[in-house]
Amino acid sequence: MSLVIFTAMVGLFIAPGHVHPVIAFTSILCIAVGAGASGAMNMAYEADIDALMSRTANRPIPRGRVTPGEAMAFGLILAFFSVITLGVLVNLLAGALLAFTIFFYVVIYTIGLKRWTAQNIVIGGAAGALPPVVAWAAATGSLSMEPILLFLIIFFWTPPHFWALALFRSDDYARAGVPMLPVVAGPDATRLQILLYTIVLVAIAAAPWPLGYFSAVYGVTSLVLGAGMMWLAVDVYRHREGKPAARATRRLFAFSILYLFALFATLLLEVVVRAVMPFFFG
Amino acid sequence: MDDNRQPDGIVLTEAQKRSRRQRSIAIALALVVLVALFFAVTMVKGPAVLVRPM
Repeated sequence: MSLVIFTAMVGLFIAPGHVHPVIAFTSILCIAVGAGASGAMNMAYEADIDALMSRTANRPIPRGRVTPGEAMAFGLILAFFSVITLGVLVNLLAGALLAFTIFFYVVIYTIGLKRWTAQNIVIGGAAGALPPVVAWAAATGSLSMEPILLFLIIFFWTPPHFWALALFRSDDYARAGVPMLPVVAGPDATRLQILLYTIVLVAIAAAPWPLGYFSAVYGVTSLVLGAGMMWLAVDVYRHREGKPAARATRRLFAFSILYLFALFATLLLEVVVRAVMPFFFG
Repeated sequence: MDDNRQPDGIVLTEAQKRSRRQRSIAIALALVVLVALFFAVTMVKGPAVLVRPM
């Protein structure tokens, strides 16, 4: 949730032109509420498997504090108001994109893909990658290459992040019958996929530099951070047994969160520095 | 007159009454935020609030 809000804020602030603070606040609030709505509906639909997994067993529905019906109603109401408010107060494109994001996460990912295919988080990752695109649309009323690059960075970041989690939680997923890649294809195939997706991720994350959207400062930072991701992905690939394997997957999972946060923080920082000290960037 | 007669309808427990009150307060706050948001954006955009470009 915090990464959704942060990446959306970056999408909003790196967009060209001036956005009034009230419009910026409204946009981020609507995106955050939309994300919360998606989460509530996801938890309503997945209450049965959440109860079987240690990571999710303490959520409000498995604990009996909220019924699935209440969570679904709450999620639907929040989704309706977040989309309408963004569409009416900011612009229709942003509202439509937020509606599509919520639909994709709840219907395509949660209901359609999650229990059906090992590619669930690959395709479903599009929902998590859309918030900066929604925010960019809120700021500009249009779309261009930059938000698509932000989308691609998060899209290719999602598989290594969630498969690292799935590797050390594979018992949980197997018990719940969720066909995550380590459960279906085995841990070794998952390690290879993590490595391949990480290579693509590092290349795409650096792309805004050669494409001319961001400076060498961003490019070099993304490559240094990418080297960290690569190092840990190789570590996951090499260590396949016992404690070293478990430690490697946990380290990759933890670092991947820091990686995405730092990458987007660098984008934000560069835009701020460019605004404050334009002579540095010509 | 039967003093032991049960009251009609559903009688909420104290915990349910407390939950209902908390829900009412949450809904009221959400409505206040929504009204404030629409007011603030209308002030910021002026007549352009009616223009919603794609």
